[in-house]
Amino acid sequence: MQIKDYIIRRLMILPFLILGTSIIVFALTRIGGSPIGIYLSHEMNPAEVQEMKERFHLDKPVPIQYFYWIKGVFQGDLGWSGVASAPVVDVFPKKFAATMELAIAAGIVAVSLGIAMGTFAGARRNKLSDHIIRVVSVSGASMPLFWFSILLLIVFWVWLGWFPIGRSDPNLFEAIAHPTGFYTIDAVIAGNFAAFKDAIWHLVMPAVALGYGATAIIARMMRSSLIEELQEDYVDAAKAKGLAENVVLKKHARRNALVPTVTVIGLTFGFLLQGTVVAEIIFRWPGLGRWMAAAVLRGDQATIMTYVMFTSILFLIVNLVVDVIYANLDRRVELGD
Amino acid sequence: MRNYLIFIQSILLGLFLAFGAHAQTIKNPGILVHAADDEATTLDPAQVEAGEGGETVILQVYDRLLEFGPSGPELIPGLATTVPTLDNGMISADGMTYTFKIREGAVFHDGTDLTAEDVKFSWDRIVEMDLPEGQAGVISDIVAETSVIDDYTFQVTLAERSASFLNSTVVSMAASIVSKDAVMANGGVVEGEPNEYMAQNAVGSGPYKLKAWNRGENILLDINENYWGEKAKLAARIEIGAEPDVRVLGLRAGNYDTIETDPSFVADIEGADGVTLHTGGLLLEPIHVGFNLNIPEGSLPKEDTIPTDFFHDPRIRQAFNYAFDYEAFLYGPLAGFGEFNPHYLPIGIFGHDANAPVYGAQDKAKAEALFREAGYWDKGFSVSVITEESNLFADAALVLKDSIEGLSPKFRINVLAVAEAVFDEAHAQNPVEYAMWVKNADPFADPHPYMSAYQHPDGEWGEVHGFANGYRNPEKIAELIDGASTELDVVKRAAMYSELQTLLFDDPMWLITAQEGVTMAYRSWVKGFEMNPLWPRPSLRFSYLDK
Repeated sequence: MQIKDYIIRRLMILPFLILGTSIIVFALTRIGGSPIGIYLSHEMNPAEVQEMKERFHLDKPVPIQYFYWIKGVFQGDLGWSGVASAPVVDVFPKKFAATMELAIAAGIVAVSLGIAMGTFAGARRNKLSDHIIRVVSVSGASMPLFWFSILLLIVFWVWLGWFPIGRSDPNLFEAIAHPTGFYTIDAVIAGNFAAFKDAIWHLVMPAVALGYGATAIIARMMRSSLIEELQEDYVDAAKAKGLAENVVLKKHARRNALVPTVTVIGLTFGFLLQGTVVAEIIFRWPGLGRWMAAAVLRGDQATIMTYVMFTSILFLIVNLVVDVIYANLDRRVELGD
Repeated sequence: MRNYLIFIQSILLGLFLAFGAHAQTIKNPGILVHAADDEATTLDPAQVEAGEGGETVILQVYDRLLEFGPSGPELIPGLATTVPTLDNGMISADGMTYTFKIREGAVFHDGTDLTAEDVKFSWDRIVEMDLPEGQAGVISDIVAETSVIDDYTFQVTLAERSASFLNSTVVSMAASIVSKDAVMANGGVVEGEPNEYMAQNAVGSGPYKLKAWNRGENILLDINENYWGEKAKLAARIEIGAEPDVRVLGLRAGNYDTIETDPSFVADIEGADGVTLHTGGLLLEPIHVGFNLNIPEGSLPKEDTIPTDFFHDPRIRQAFNYAFDYEAFLYGPLAGFGEFNPHYLPIGIFGHDANAPVYGAQDKAKAEALFREAGYWDKGFSVSVITEESNLFADAALVLKDSIEGLSPKFRINVLAVAEAVFDEAHAQNPVEYAMWVKNADPFADPHPYMSAYQHPDGEWGEVHGFANGYRNPEKIAELIDGASTELDVVKRAAMYSELQTLLFDDPMWLITAQEGVTMAYRSWVKGFEMNPLWPRPSLRFSYLDK
């Protein structure tokens, strides 16, 4: 089958898959009971509860509730988030951007530090600097994220006062437009250096906390790959040719050692996204993770439903893209009928 | 290796906590930073629930005709220039008509003039919308008619005489005055439907203007430079949803000026450099254990062995009241911040009689005698109590469990600690399918709302929980509560509440665990600190504060 036909076929199936997923997810959210509790207060009497149920169509049978939900989706209404006190559709893009910004920043920390530390340690195998970096790496991989986050918070926010928590200085944040939702990018677009600096400053602690664990994984992989590469014949050949040690390391050995490390880097992005829940709660980062944790604890099903559907659709699309890329990369892969 | 690292880091953490946080220079000058524990759900006075986070903002950005002053339940003029009294003629001789002179020159944040028409519109609007989550009843239960006499005179005719109209209706956050023009330009008034614009914006006339509401992050308030009264000294920022430990750390570091505090924080705050702990006064939100006298047949959890009429017997309710270990609750979860006041009329409220009989101390012998008399001492019982998890209510339920099970091995209390949303749904059923629950009441400034909602056999909760099935003399209780609500002679009214307290001691419908004390931590550089439990939580008017 031609790639073009395959893509068209998969895209045609996609809406049915999404619809099927939405039915399953909706049914699952209702298994735990009605979501009405999130909209109620202690002092509501039964008549008031009934009115609230009618407002959110929760007085209807579950299939009819689903019908209202899907109708709302087509009208751009994803429901009301009891946790955020706002329409889900208004809040979701902002929270998503905040989380992605944090995960990317943590990724930058992890990759740059991990590769640098791994290279440094690998090139100085069994020397003091190697031991120190290994201790740092082990501590990064073994320390619980919440504990390390609290430590950073106490040292750099409470004690030294160097870095703030939250996402922004509200005055600077309010002073610029937010076309992308990424505070750093919006600050650059607005040409506001103070806002850009503020965005970076707020990112430091959560990004370091989150990125540290991944740094350790990348550094260890980089170190061991580099040590292996440095034992290869081509390295001896390069040295025999008279190339400087530094050139052999950077232009030959490190480049080859990066191949397995890059695979690990790809995998760590999922780890970073997972970790955003803890980092966002501790550093008061207003992202998807913190919102979702509160939504799960408080039974905010409109929010949970949106999040699960979003990740499901993302997963379906990524799967499609991966299949196509595989077929392009390796012509032996045949696309199914 | 891991244990070694954690050991080293623990030592570092201890050192930082011991020697860190010496910030003495004022942080965030020009702005008051308050750390709140949760998000507001709406900023619309017509939609806000009593005691909910939105009231915190409404207090600052809207005005009402009258306000509670800083030192207690005394009323001070707000948008009304004078507090109506019989003496000044602004309350009619029959007590049915109240006249309010509206302050000239007051303007809304959008620059439009505030007139009596806006006041009438605001009050009529909440009644017309009548949202289930709102407080329409605060006005509709008591007001028969509102009218505009002239641009700056507003008049209210009551449905019946009321001793509590001024200090329960007029000062309510629901009775805040909104801009008619702003509402009509943004969705207008629709019966039974929230106004989305008003839920997320604020067009009031208060000392603060809403600048931004960043969900899950902060609410920013600017000083209203055109305020008719004394202007706020500091802008304000409400930081939303910081974890309790982060709030404490932020206060110690000086990053927050005030934090929402409860007694469990005290040990972490007491003695901290640059932090003041305000502990004067008592909250007006009795924490209670409820008894269900309207249990549907077959609805109780299967572990419960009690009959559905278990709490119809006043001796059982008395026995529970005698059995509770009040001291354990006050000096345990409340860390000593509170008073023994097991009555629904809190200390500090008009009509509270300090000489009326109260339980207040555990008396196992009397509890045993009453359980024996009621026939349960030998056969025992098992009963469930539902509560929210991980808070003072859950603690009260556990103290109840210890107290009752400590009396006899044949007694069993099952504590069902559930998520807030689950509890709210269970409690809102009619009839409630649990025999007992733990929660608190909203604060009021007048005894009538406490009595009518929580003691009257036909009141809001009395009807749902079947109080008429259990009172020895429900007609007498109803007569006294109804009579006191319309009695304008304060001496006679106080005597009626005193009599009620004695009757309700013999015939308790609740077990009041304690009256919680006020605890509020703030940076010592905050000046003009005033706190009034009658203001919505955190019971602060930011405009009074400076630093």
